[in-house]
Amino acid sequence: MTDKTKFFVLLGLLAASLALLWYLDSNAQNILLG
Amino acid sequence: MQKPGSAQRLSNLRSIRYTYHYMSRQFYHRGSHVLLALIILINGYIIALPFAPTLWYWWQTKSQSTAGGKPLTVRAASAKAVKDTPQAFHADAHHDGLVIPRMMLNTPLFEGPEKDNFNLLNKGAWRLPFASTPGEGGNTVIAGHRFSYTGPRGVFYYLDKLRANDEIGLWYKGKLYLYSVQSSRTVKATEVSVQQPTDDARLTLYTCTPLWNPTDRLVVVATPKGAN
Repeated sequence: MTDKTKFFVLLGLLAASLALLWYLDSNAQNILLG
Repeated sequence: MQKPGSAQRLSNLRSIRYTYHYMSRQFYHRGSHVLLALIILINGYIIALPFAPTLWYWWQTKSQSTAGGKPLTVRAASAKAVKDTPQAFHADAHHDGLVIPRMMLNTPLFEGPEKDNFNLLNKGAWRLPFASTPGEGGNTVIAGHRFSYTGPRGVFYYLDKLRANDEIGLWYKGKLYLYSVQSSRTVKATEVSVQQPTDDARLTLYTCTPLWNPTDRLVVVATPKGAN
C-alpha cells in the first residue's frame, strides 16, 4: 500500500470516528420519552 | 542538439518535479502518522470517557468508607454544599434543587417549557412542565442527562447507584421535600406512562441508559417522607 492510499484510508477512518462521536453524543442529548 | 540554455531549463524542471514528488511523499507519509494518532485519540476518548465518572465515584466512596463514614443525609449534604459553595453564590443558596447523598448530587432544578429542554438539561435537572409539583401531590417528574461527550457531565450519571430507601431531598419554592426510593427500573424510550399523573404523591426521576447507546430510560420512583 502506498503512502497516498494509506493516507486516504486513514482520512476515511478519521471521518468515521468523528461521525460515531457525533452520533453517540446526539443520541445522549435526546432524553425525552415518547 | 539542445542549446545550453534549454538543457539548464530542463534540469531545473526535473529538479522541481523531483522536489514536488519528494515533498508529496513526505506529506502523505507524515500525514498518515498524524491521522493515525488522531484516530487513536478520538476512539480512546469514545471508549474511556464514559468510565471516568465511575472511577471518580469509586474513589470518593472509597475515601468515605476508609474514613468510616456513611452517605450523608440530605440535610447534612445541603449544609455541606452551602459551606463549600463560594461566597458569591450564597445569595442564590435557596434556589430549587435536588440533593441525593447516595449519588453525591446537589444540583439546581430548572423549570421551563419543553422546547427549552436542551438548554435547561445542560444546566442541571429539569422538572417536566406538564407534571405535578411537590406541593400539589401527584407525580412530580424530573429528568436529567446521564452522560454526554461534549456537554457538561450528566447530573443523573449515578442514578443507577440508588437503592431502595435511599433518601432524596427536593428543594422547591423554599421548602425541603424528602423522599424515599421505592423502585428502579429500565423502560423503553417510548414508555411515556412513567410521566402520567398519579393519585398518590411520588417523585419520578429518569435518565438515559445504557451509556454508549442510550435507547432506554432508567426510571427511579420515590415516595414522600414528609415536607418541612
